[in-house]
Amino acid sequence: MYRKAILLLFFGMLGAAQLIQAQDNTTVNGTVKDKLTGETIIGAVIKIEQLPNVVVTSNEYGFYAISLPKGKYDFKISFVGFEEKRIAVDLNGPLNLPVFLESKNQLAEVVVESKRKDDNLIKAQVGTETLNMKSISKVPVIFGEKDVLKTIQLLPGVKSAGEGNSGFYVRGGAADQNLILLDEAPVYNASHLLGFFSTFNSDAIKDATIIKGNAPAQYGGRLSSVLDVKMKEGNNKNYTVNGGLGLISSRLSIEGPIQEDKSSFIISGRRTYADVILKATEKFKDNILYFYDLNAKANYKINDKNRIYFSGYFGKDELGLGSSFGINWGNKTGTVRWNRIINNKLFLNTSFIYSDYSYNVGLKNGETNFNVNSNIKDVNLKQDYTFYLNPKNTIRYGFNSILHTITPSVFSGTVNNNINKVGRNGLENAIYFNNNYKANQKLTLDYGLRVSAYSLMGGDVYNIYKENSITESIALKKNEFGKTYINLEPRFTSNYRINDVSSIKLAYARNVQHLHLLSNATAASPSDQWIGNSYNIKPELADQASIGFARNFKDNTYELGAELYYKFMQNQLDYKDGANIITIADVESALLYGVGRAYGFELLAKKKFGLLSGWISYTLSKTERKINGINGGNWYNAKQDRTHDISIVTILELNQKWTLSGVFVYNTGDAVTFPTGKYNIGNQTIFQYASRNTNRMPNYHRLDVSVTYENKTKKKNVGSWNFSLYNVYGRENAYRIAFQDDPLDNTKTQIVRTALFKWVPSVTYNFKF
Amino acid sequence: MIMYFKIAKYFLFLSILFTSCDKIITLPVEANEQKIVIEANITDQPGPYLVKLTKSVGISEANVYPFIDNALVIIADNLGNKDTLINTNGGIYKTRSLLGIYGRTYFLEVKVNGNTYTAQSTMPNKVNLDNLRVNTFPINGETRYNIIPVYQDPIALGNSYRFIQKINDTIDNNYNIFNDNLNNGKINQRPLNNRNEDLTVKLNDSVAVEMQCISPSAYTYFYTLTQQSGAGPGGGTVPSNPPNNITGGALGLFSTHTTQTKAIKILGN
Repeated sequence: MYRKAILLLFFGMLGAAQLIQAQDNTTVNGTVKDKLTGETIIGAVIKIEQLPNVVVTSNEYGFYAISLPKGKYDFKISFVGFEEKRIAVDLNGPLNLPVFLESKNQLAEVVVESKRKDDNLIKAQVGTETLNMKSISKVPVIFGEKDVLKTIQLLPGVKSAGEGNSGFYVRGGAADQNLILLDEAPVYNASHLLGFFSTFNSDAIKDATIIKGNAPAQYGGRLSSVLDVKMKEGNNKNYTVNGGLGLISSRLSIEGPIQEDKSSFIISGRRTYADVILKATEKFKDNILYFYDLNAKANYKINDKNRIYFSGYFGKDELGLGSSFGINWGNKTGTVRWNRIINNKLFLNTSFIYSDYSYNVGLKNGETNFNVNSNIKDVNLKQDYTFYLNPKNTIRYGFNSILHTITPSVFSGTVNNNINKVGRNGLENAIYFNNNYKANQKLTLDYGLRVSAYSLMGGDVYNIYKENSITESIALKKNEFGKTYINLEPRFTSNYRINDVSSIKLAYARNVQHLHLLSNATAASPSDQWIGNSYNIKPELADQASIGFARNFKDNTYELGAELYYKFMQNQLDYKDGANIITIADVESALLYGVGRAYGFELLAKKKFGLLSGWISYTLSKTERKINGINGGNWYNAKQDRTHDISIVTILELNQKWTLSGVFVYNTGDAVTFPTGKYNIGNQTIFQYASRNTNRMPNYHRLDVSVTYENKTKKKNVGSWNFSLYNVYGRENAYRIAFQDDPLDNTKTQIVRTALFKWVPSVTYNFKF
Repeated sequence: MIMYFKIAKYFLFLSILFTSCDKIITLPVEANEQKIVIEANITDQPGPYLVKLTKSVGISEANVYPFIDNALVIIADNLGNKDTLINTNGGIYKTRSLLGIYGRTYFLEVKVNGNTYTAQSTMPNKVNLDNLRVNTFPINGETRYNIIPVYQDPIALGNSYRFIQKINDTIDNNYNIFNDNLNNGKINQRPLNNRNEDLTVKLNDSVAVEMQCISPSAYTYFYTLTQQSGAGPGGGTVPSNPPNNITGGALGLFSTHTTQTKAIKILGN
């Protein structure tokens, strides 16, 4: 561990040495925007004709800065889907150079896209993919609702949590080990309607990036991945209205300038209406089933150096049976961000973030009525500096402080907890430093260190358990601090360009997670319970090493990426058989601890341009856990251990109006535990089990197709129809397999396979004016 | 409660949005390790009490469980009373003189084919079933009924209960397992779950409810079974053999519990 820290320091000093050399330089900076909408462009590539070594990309706010010696230069700015822009610059002193790119009238761009045609070869990023919302719309999904979470599941190393489910597993990690950010605010439950929809309304979203475990040091808090979702800022030139009408839900969003070129907004809403139909039927008139969500964002340019952004999300699900039974859950997030250009080389973003997730279950019949509520709340302050030291080094550093308040399963009404449950507080702090160092034309290094700390805070009693019994109880007073866990998280990624068409990548990262989800459920469930570190629960640790190879063919039209990874996870949590984690007085009394390992090989082949585009992804992997007290303390397959996982996505642009697309997926069935035998207790059959998760669900495969018809009548007004069919050949994929006494002959056991859907057709009409 | 949650989800989601389809399938047969199964009960009612010894069978075999007739079964209590059970036929062993008394701890020993299995369990104090209450609630224009067993949970923490519901002489095979993790020391408010759609409580039905005060280990045993049965969306844990109180690797349970039954007829208003 210390050796690693020393190594990092050494690299840090390398950067400092370069600082001294770079004194005669002056700087160029500015923001890259879409000329038509004024929307900032993330990841635009800025190159200089005279200096082939220099490659700079715009940051999350479209901002870029380059230090250069005085002189005459030709700037080339490019971004996929936009015309390349050339600007001649005569540099005598610091220069502010705003860039406006014009969008191409182009044919298909593949969904998983690069910022630059050969971007995959130059960046020191491993296991990272960005999805662009514009192009996602062509990929067929269930219920015709384009969805970023469903689409990322088609990438190698990312696995779906189940049929139609928006939960996902990355490289053998659990569903709670993904950091899902919406404009920097963590989203604790990213699913609607028990996972069939995600909380991300595609109309309000600009893009989404997934980093599979080797994230730069500014990200932290989860073991397996970061899914960074960014909302649109809103058109600051014109008002536009976007919307869609579907069978299950409808969407509407409005965006436009508040003051032209200075401020803009976007408001986007979505609601399902199955409940309206249900109400009209006699049989289901008391059934309640809907969700809605609302995204809003506004930004204001104070002056050339300061800009402020407000973004918010509010979503809610309601499920119920008249007044007798109801469940509701929802996320609320809010982010205020202040971008400040401190000087020509230094960019600062300060964020104040609020996030709240809560779920309620209510039961009322006759005189019995009660309610169970769980809640997790974060208040978060973040400062992130980007220092454009010189063309070779871009340094990011900053801090992040989060106050977590977690209140699990509080009963009220006629049924109550025995001891009033109070929320637990925890303070999570992190400081980080990261340098992106372009050593030469061939070698890029990205290295950094994150130091994270989690402090237990007062207001509750913490019990310490040793072999099932309490050895000590620690009652912390309000605002008193208990134990603090401090962890070092070194990160390192590198890219070496072997030649014009290929490169190799190497990476290592340690990730630490201080919040844990207690769930043994088969799908993402709103009742899943979060818990922070305690005296018993230690931070989860993951070490991941990966090696990658990338090669482009035919002038970067085809792209091939292969990656190999190994991940080892410590302090993993599970709970004892028969523990009721909802009603138990102290859930820590029922926890079990262990380790996990995952390794695999991922292959991604893309065709990026042309009439036919798409990708093939394949993952070969193994995921296991070893938990003290489960499976006799031996290694066992994690549920999501799927040996083979294949996705094929094709998009065929027939002409300007018609697009055909198809998705085929195939994966090995989940690892499950089937009974091997049976016996009888109290005249009931009870099943006997052997080792955990040695059986397999049947292999899963499915083909979906969709047709999109786009009618571009005028330049501004666009209407499009999308027809899609989920599960074209009607494969009855097993959703669950149950063993039970045969109702016709109770001396036999019957095995019942339940499949959720055979075919799901859908129609969506999208409009824009 | 959790059960309610799961059923509601299942019911709402599957039946409304789409039609799911069930199919009977076969799976490759796997080797099963045959294990001894001990079902031993002592109640607060006069004996004799029974211990049933059988063996488990493979999943694809018929539900016919070979019984063990060559065992030595002894139950002792913490006061030094010791009873060697009488081997009647069919794997059933009967006590001779043992008394089920509140607060006493019982020790079971089973010797068979050179192996010894032991278990211990304490008879909980009796909590009286005072009454049965009928709860009505409307769903989609229909009136539904469920039963609330009325009892006063004692102040001391650690009471566990099992309820067995019989609707018009048909035993409802749901496990209704309560404890005092919630509402300790209060009069019970929770209704019995009625998960079986073929066996709901209807108007004019006669419902008999047996209340058992069970030991914490019996609670864990049955609660684990309830968790494994609901493998629908959002529910169902990875199944395993429920933890029991028997050492030596036998399946089954040694339960010491009280028993009391009350009945009620569902009448309209």
